Amino acid sequence: MDSERNRQKEIVEKIWPRVKRKHLFPEMPTPRIRAEPDFPEEGTGEDEGIGLEMKERQMILSSAFLSKLSDRITEEQAIEALLDHGITHYTFCPWDFHTHVQLYAEAKKVVNDNTLAKRVANYFMDVVADTYCVKKRETDIPALRRSLTKGKMDQVIASLYQRIWGVDLGIPSASGRGEHEEVVRRLARIPYLDRSRWFDSVQRFARSVKPLLMEEQEEQEGQEGQGGKGQSNPTGDHGLDHYSLEEIDQGLRNYAQQNMKLAEFREVVEDFSADLKEAGYGMERGMGRGRGTPLDADVLFYMKLAEHYSLPLRKIPMEEKGALHPHTHSPWEVGSPIQDIDIWSSFGKIMPGVTQIWKKREGKGRGKVEGTPDCLIAIDSSGSMINPRKNLSYAVLGAACAADAYLRNHCKVAVYNFSDAPMGGKDILDYTLRREEVYRTLCKYFGGGTALDMDDLIPLILGRENLDLFIITDMKITNLETLIGYFEKIQNRITAVHVGENPYASRFEKAIGNRKNINIFTVKKKEDIPHIVLGKILEYFKGSP
Amino acid sequence: METTLSIKRSKRISKGASPKSASPQDRTNEARTILGENVDRMKPISLQTKEPSETSGHKEPRFKNPFEEFGTYALPQKDIPLDSIVRSTEVVMDQIRRGYEKLLEEEAKELVWMVQYNTIIKAYEVAERYVREIEYSAEDIEDFCFALENTRKIPYLIPGPAGLYISALCNYASEEEILLKLSELKTEINLLGFRLSKGKRLLIEGDTGDFTGIGVEGGELIVEGNAKNWTGAGMRSGKILVRKNIGLHTGEWMMGGEIFVGGRVRGLGNIVEGKVYEREKLIYPGKARSPNLNY
Amino acid sequence: MEKNGYQKRVREIYGLIHDHLYFNRPDLEIKGEKYNSAILLSLLTALKQGKELIIGEPGLGKTTSAEFICSLIYQFPLGVIWASEVSGHPEQTEEKIIGRPDLGKLNQGEEDVVWTNFTQIPAKIVDEINRLPETKQSMILDGVDRGNWEYLNEMIINEEYCLFATANYQDGGTNTIIAPLVDRFDVMIESKYPGANLSFQVGKNNRKDHLLRHPKTEKEFHRLFKSKIAYEKKVDKMEELCNAFGEFVQEALGVRPLQKQDRDQIRAEMEDIGFDLDASAFTRMLLAEFSFCERYGQKRSVETCEEGCHFSGYLCHDIKNCASNRLPTSIRQYAQGLAWFLQDSEIDLEHVKSVIPYTLAHRVQWRDQVLSQKERARRDDPFPIYLVKEAVRVVLQRYREQSDHLKDALAVGSRIFQGESLEPLDGDHPLYQEIKKDLEGRKS
Repeated sequence: MDSERNRQKEIVEKIWPRVKRKHLFPEMPTPRIRAEPDFPEEGTGEDEGIGLEMKERQMILSSAFLSKLSDRITEEQAIEALLDHGITHYTFCPWDFHTHVQLYAEAKKVVNDNTLAKRVANYFMDVVADTYCVKKRETDIPALRRSLTKGKMDQVIASLYQRIWGVDLGIPSASGRGEHEEVVRRLARIPYLDRSRWFDSVQRFARSVKPLLMEEQEEQEGQEGQGGKGQSNPTGDHGLDHYSLEEIDQGLRNYAQQNMKLAEFREVVEDFSADLKEAGYGMERGMGRGRGTPLDADVLFYMKLAEHYSLPLRKIPMEEKGALHPHTHSPWEVGSPIQDIDIWSSFGKIMPGVTQIWKKREGKGRGKVEGTPDCLIAIDSSGSMINPRKNLSYAVLGAACAADAYLRNHCKVAVYNFSDAPMGGKDILDYTLRREEVYRTLCKYFGGGTALDMDDLIPLILGRENLDLFIITDMKITNLETLIGYFEKIQNRITAVHVGENPYASRFEKAIGNRKNINIFTVKKKEDIPHIVLGKILEYFKGSP
Repeated sequence: METTLSIKRSKRISKGASPKSASPQDRTNEARTILGENVDRMKPISLQTKEPSETSGHKEPRFKNPFEEFGTYALPQKDIPLDSIVRSTEVVMDQIRRGYEKLLEEEAKELVWMVQYNTIIKAYEVAERYVREIEYSAEDIEDFCFALENTRKIPYLIPGPAGLYISALCNYASEEEILLKLSELKTEINLLGFRLSKGKRLLIEGDTGDFTGIGVEGGELIVEGNAKNWTGAGMRSGKILVRKNIGLHTGEWMMGGEIFVGGRVRGLGNIVEGKVYEREKLIYPGKARSPNLNY
Repeated sequence: MEKNGYQKRVREIYGLIHDHLYFNRPDLEIKGEKYNSAILLSLLTALKQGKELIIGEPGLGKTTSAEFICSLIYQFPLGVIWASEVSGHPEQTEEKIIGRPDLGKLNQGEEDVVWTNFTQIPAKIVDEINRLPETKQSMILDGVDRGNWEYLNEMIINEEYCLFATANYQDGGTNTIIAPLVDRFDVMIESKYPGANLSFQVGKNNRKDHLLRHPKTEKEFHRLFKSKIAYEKKVDKMEELCNAFGEFVQEALGVRPLQKQDRDQIRAEMEDIGFDLDASAFTRMLLAEFSFCERYGQKRSVETCEEGCHFSGYLCHDIKNCASNRLPTSIRQYAQGLAWFLQDSEIDLEHVKSVIPYTLAHRVQWRDQVLSQKERARRDDPFPIYLVKEAVRVVLQRYREQSDHLKDALAVGSRIFQGESLEPLDGDHPLYQEIKKDLEGRKS
């Protein structure tokens, strides 16, 4: 066993430089050989088990798999084919988690089932990767495919490969209209190598293979009931362990931004929630959360969207101290004053080209960190506002952007989420640095009337000197006068954002409009809210000491 | 404009390699060596030595070719059957799409089209004309149905002309049996199976719209889903089988043939001749008889 | 491609520094082998006569690593290197950096220059260059650019030179190195924290400086530098002393430092190494993405990139400034050096991919949006180098997808340039536009 493994290891080391060059040097570490199967029964059935696994770009080949195949294909060919396949998943399809998630989502639109959608996406990605390799590179993937034991779906895929690659994989060509002939015909028409059409293509793929997969699923369920295991994918499944936490984070962020559809995002996150938990991914950067904490998909959606609108970190300012000190030398010229001459550097001479004078500069030291403002966000979640858990709410997104900007600059954020506050429709979060709690409070929706309770608001403002206030509402607040009265008394910077014109908003503007510390924005398009909020924060931060 | 290279005599220059004391001619030669051919270019044009290539009249590049190293590169051509399949599919799809667009231009000006006997006939004739010129397969028809929903590919889906066009495609397809998997289609297309001719078998997976199988002329139409209103209207002969439910005016002005409904029939139309079965029970003409469902 | 065994010798020098002098982890994998980026790139800088900016936290071996490299590649004892270093502080003067009048002769009314060791020695080290005022930074970089040092109308010209400049991260006591100056550095590397165990090792062992010291030779050097003989004669004498020191090192440490003819030969061998097609096409692709602007003709740091531009998926959208012409020079130099070191006959993608982050990191001004989105990402490199590594990864992915077509476009460009009447190929990438512009320029 060990000698086999060592031999295979040597083969890997010998061919890896060539394979890397063939694929134009992907950033992947040298593949490893795994000796024992993780599960004892793996590969003991009719099939060979899993030949290749990928964990965050590390490819791991199964020694047992290679040995089992050795009577049908040489180890070198098998290893190279598996590496070609694995590398192409990294360099071409799916390439990143965002693409993986999109393919899954498109497949699910057709098959309407999580497990089936994952399988469809997996098969599709395999077909794309293998076809790309066969077309663009010299590869032994056809030889590998020929030598594998095939279940029903694998036979269809192999027939497809025969047709689109023009090679013989040992599947007898169907005469007339065989059982899967029309499936293969449909599959052969799909433009697998056209990346721009992948999302249409995976739907077409799903349509064609759906009946087969459903059949297989039923058979597998029957088998598992009787103690069997079903076919494993020899080139490995495409789970989240292919990606690092950062790649998953980036993928979700891109997916949220690209889609801007809460329901779809939520669906995908919930479908992958078990895998995400398994991978240790959590909302606060995935560290230390453990596997038991559930992901809140809605909160995650706003969090990822807000990250896309992020502002740069404010640098710690340098303050001038006021006192001058000699700093650098510069040459003395005839006619220049002589009181700043540095006699030592001038070698005691006063003559052009030799004499140096001191240039003085004001001392500088690091500026103060305190005085950086915290932020209080008041968000309206009355019935006239959109429920952020049902549809994308730009009001919540704007508030999320504000929260993100302040938190990233190590400022605390408090949230006052109000609907009919005097009747209990409110949620108050005291000043905190905990991002998840802030977002969770922002995403709460009451859907009742609109009234602030000043007794809730005042304690959050009093005693804090440099507090910034953001209020995002449609201004249809029943006790608006009270609010106006209070704002007229305080000196804090207030940014009020509301959508559309209405008499309340006009009343508010008229009453408050002249105050220098208060900015009111009437937003025509909801989509402008995040930009307005961020623009204001940028001004505030640049103006801050 | 002449350029002179002057070396400041007032500076003493120490170099790593020891320079010999240089005469003015040596210095000029050294300058020429340093500056190379550009020295000539800086002289007045009349004093410039002519390059042999200029005197002979043959043009050579004045500037270095920035792409020189790629001069011998040849694009590796490796076509696999997939390439030709996809290419020919695209070509056919283009032709089919153009045919449809021409049909709309002629028959659905301003994108308005009314379902009337004469408009149906006329539109179908136009569709036939374009369809006859194209070589396509059954899968192309199915792909076209899905392409209709993608407004990036085909901007306008007008259910009537679309259905007639698809019916013409089915009728003129080389295959005798055509399977259209339309269950994922969001739109229900009307007028599918129009004038399905004898010897043709059209199997549709999914639901269909109104006027399904109208004017069937001996062919066999199977709908693995629901059909809407006016199904089988004016059919002359042949079979229509709807697995699930069917709408109103079923078999309106039907002249012959049989309609089998696996689910419920909402309503029958004015049937001239022919048979309608609901869940294996003959509901038109009146007596209940078991049909011969030999599929 | 080993011709004269020089690669082996340089590897031995690398090994000596890595194992005995500068303890740090390998952080750069190339062709299956791992290297420490600080040592490797510093070796290449010394061999290729480059200019290197070394950053890092205080006390992590920035200056020390440069000193060891200079000592072994140029055969100078450490004592001479120390005496030749310029340390960065605001009170530095031209007289302390370049040269001063001979005071004795000055008092007699004669002008004569006493050159500093810094100007005379080929391997130059400036410690904490960012603490120097801008004028002094500029003076040093100008001098090293051309090898000319001028004072009081006298000049010496170094035939051979390289520069190592160290800089701490920005703090209250430092100036910024402005963009035009920082652009002159070929590479920027970080001298990283070696980890607790290696750091402990450093603390536990005695200092290893003595391995590269030779007091007798150092005295000779000092005497030579102070002497009044002409610089060209000094150079010959310096070479003799260097060779003597080199023999000492070989006897004592078993490693042969490089003599001048060795270095010349190595440079000649390096110059012979060309780009393969993929490396060339990829480098052009990267340069195109860097500096292209469809709207304004080229990137300019005073012009902002508009949203909604067709090319917003490319690198130009993330960057504010344009690449200077020094960038491709630096890439070529270091890629050649790396290929030579690895005994490859051509520069391939892996060489280029490995050196670009270090040649580009200090030359890029990223948009604020990009900085804010990526600043919290997990990484091992300092932020500027990490950003460029990520950018290179993304551009390389694009390259993999369309490499054949790109090379074909360049091939067609070559043929059009030769006079064939063909149409340039179309494509989405900025490089296709650049090819067309070049060919239009050719037509006109």
